[in-house]
Amino acid sequence: MTNQTTLRLMQLVSPALPVGAYAYSQGLETAVERGWVSDEADARDWILGLMDHSLCHLDVPVFARIYRGFAADDKAAVLAWSELLRACRETAELQAEDHHLGAALARLLDELDVPGASTWVDHPARSFATLFAMAAVHWQIPLADAVSGYVWAWAENQVAAAIKLVPLGQTAGQRILSDVTVELPEMMERGLELEDSAIGAIAPALAMASALHEVQYSRLFRS
Amino acid sequence: MPELSETDTDCWRGELELGFHHRDGRTVLADRRHLGPLRIQRPFYPEGPGVCHAYVLHPPGGVVGGDTLHISARAQTGAHALLTTPAAGKFYRSSGATAHQVVNLCVQPNARLEWLPQETIVFAGAKADLLTRVDLTGDAEFLGWEILCLGRSAAGEGFDHGNVRQRFEIWRENKPLLLERISIDGGGPLLTSPWGLRGFPVTASLIATGRDPGLASQVRDAVQTQDAQEYCSVTQLDDVVVCRYLGLHAAHARHRLSRAWEILRPMIVQRPACAPRIWFT
Repeated sequence: MTNQTTLRLMQLVSPALPVGAYAYSQGLETAVERGWVSDEADARDWILGLMDHSLCHLDVPVFARIYRGFAADDKAAVLAWSELLRACRETAELQAEDHHLGAALARLLDELDVPGASTWVDHPARSFATLFAMAAVHWQIPLADAVSGYVWAWAENQVAAAIKLVPLGQTAGQRILSDVTVELPEMMERGLELEDSAIGAIAPALAMASALHEVQYSRLFRS
Repeated sequence: MPELSETDTDCWRGELELGFHHRDGRTVLADRRHLGPLRIQRPFYPEGPGVCHAYVLHPPGGVVGGDTLHISARAQTGAHALLTTPAAGKFYRSSGATAHQVVNLCVQPNARLEWLPQETIVFAGAKADLLTRVDLTGDAEFLGWEILCLGRSAAGEGFDHGNVRQRFEIWRENKPLLLERISIDGGGPLLTSPWGLRGFPVTASLIATGRDPGLASQVRDAVQTQDAQEYCSVTQLDDVVVCRYLGLHAAHARHRLSRAWEILRPMIVQRPACAPRIWFT
């Protein structure tokens, strides 16, 4: 990567990116409430396990296809893979999260003069991955770096949620993130090699936790 | 004549094609074609002529590696069909080849289709690829479930080796509404992980068309469980309600999902639940 594209990737993955990702725990809040995740080891297993299962078999390969779609100006491919991603999200909350983050990033990219971003603000198939891929293509961030950044941003956000919920110390959070950096490259490679027919991986108890979160009495997070 | 290899002769290929038509207030099974071991029993009309109940039979009872079962059913405009099976589907341990089951369900405008099979039991060591794809056109309605049992847990058998790939998909006008896809390796981390199957051998989903915001909360009240040995959850997506189960017993899964079906059926197909007689025999 040239210096400019490195900096653009840092901009995209920063927790300061104003899309509100910090408000979402993706079922982790319910997992903690139910005692499924109660310490650093559990949080590590939860986050690394989901990275290896859901991110590897869904987000990574779909992100790559959306990225290539934008790069080739293939609108039909971008739309079809964005719709598939949405249909693979297990619950209303996970779909809503993707809608909120996708819309927020679309608005931001539009303000930053990324062409085409405005058309995604209200698009029914918008997702964070779609808009992230659009920005990455526009700013010429190579695919592998863009995917790494997308997964990294997810992991960092999950760790931040775990720190608040379990709760964990900041150092414990950094230990989990260090493990993410070790596992991420190999996971990403596997995810990028998947054929179309192998894409998609529901996480049954995560789907359960997320759906139960929708009616959980006391909540800090929006998912 | 060329000799068939042993694998060729040992494999079953079963096909069943069903077409339900609406004629003068009746739903009739107008098209039926079968090949190999799959059959359809004479249709029943326990709730009057409008709804055809049909039982899909697989007389061999079990599926071995290399076998292919292909069931396709189409409900034409105005028709209403309910499909079920009289016994659990079984996928036996495989010495190598993968067994395939493909179920294609097409529902035309103003038609309704219900797919309520008994559970599928995947034996330890089985290699199974299961696909159920529902294609809706226009305002077609669908209610259906799939219940998957990993290993014969009643006999103390865990799913310690083998692989099962399961896909349960619903599309409307070629747009995906929900794609539930999973690949489970025997002995793999998914079986026990806290976000995966949590050590439970039975996982099930009920999917129903419907976007009325009241659907999910009514179903939730009906299926909620305080039992620590099982979980049940409900969520409302864009155009479908999904009720999921995770637990120890297929019978419990069927019980929970039947409760959800009893709530949903009057709201989605405007008929009270009428359980197929075969469920009680």
